[in-house]
Amino acid sequence: MTEQSAHVHERRILGTEMLWAFGVGVLIAAVLGMIVFTALTRDINPPSNVEHIDPKRLHLSGEFAEQNLGTTVGADGSVTVRVIATQFMFVPRCIAVPRGRPVTLRFATPDVVHGLLITGTNVNTMVVPGFVAQVYTTFTRTGDLLMPCHEYCGLGHSEMWATVQIVPDSEFKPDRDGRVSCAQR
Amino acid sequence: MISGNESSSVDVPSVTADPVDDAALAQVMRVVPLGAGVLAGAAVALLVLGYLAIYLLVFLPRGGVG
Repeated sequence: MTEQSAHVHERRILGTEMLWAFGVGVLIAAVLGMIVFTALTRDINPPSNVEHIDPKRLHLSGEFAEQNLGTTVGADGSVTVRVIATQFMFVPRCIAVPRGRPVTLRFATPDVVHGLLITGTNVNTMVVPGFVAQVYTTFTRTGDLLMPCHEYCGLGHSEMWATVQIVPDSEFKPDRDGRVSCAQR
Repeated sequence: MISGNESSSVDVPSVTADPVDDAALAQVMRVVPLGAGVLAGAAVALLVLGYLAIYLLVFLPRGGVG
């Protein structure tokens, strides 16, 4: 290969690499742009709540005391669910939520690291001792969904799951205390 | 045993003529980057299409979260 043709060859390779780098740059920008666009317009973000709680005392008083667990409807109509994840169960084992309304899910644990997801939704978070895990979501269909622990937490991990009962808004009726329990079926 | 003045056949570089001349090499090298580009482009396109399908058809319909 002559020196001139080698030079032309190198320029062709450089051109190909630059073209490829440009294409990859466009792809990365498009994917990041799509993520930012959906985060801003459809409110899809990774849960990022940072809130401390004493794991040794959370069940004795305050927000995660037994009488406050489950689904509560506030005076302003906001729906909040409080659940304790403990070895090896969720308390309560069934939570009732309305379809089509924003719901705030709050979790805490007194023992070890747990995790949870709600099948068929984007709800997916860790529950770490010392912190309150909080997730906002709006359920889009009715039915019973499974909520298993997805972080190995001990020998009974596979038995640790709860049910999320999603009911139509017309059937979601709080009692005098603003509490809503799962319907017995 | 080989003495110091002798050399084995391993030490003698085999000098053979390159059967590929410069013109043929240049011809091949003009085509190879195109094929590599098509192969890599097709692989990346499939990957991106798979990502888009899951993102648009599975992730977004599952609703907002934050």
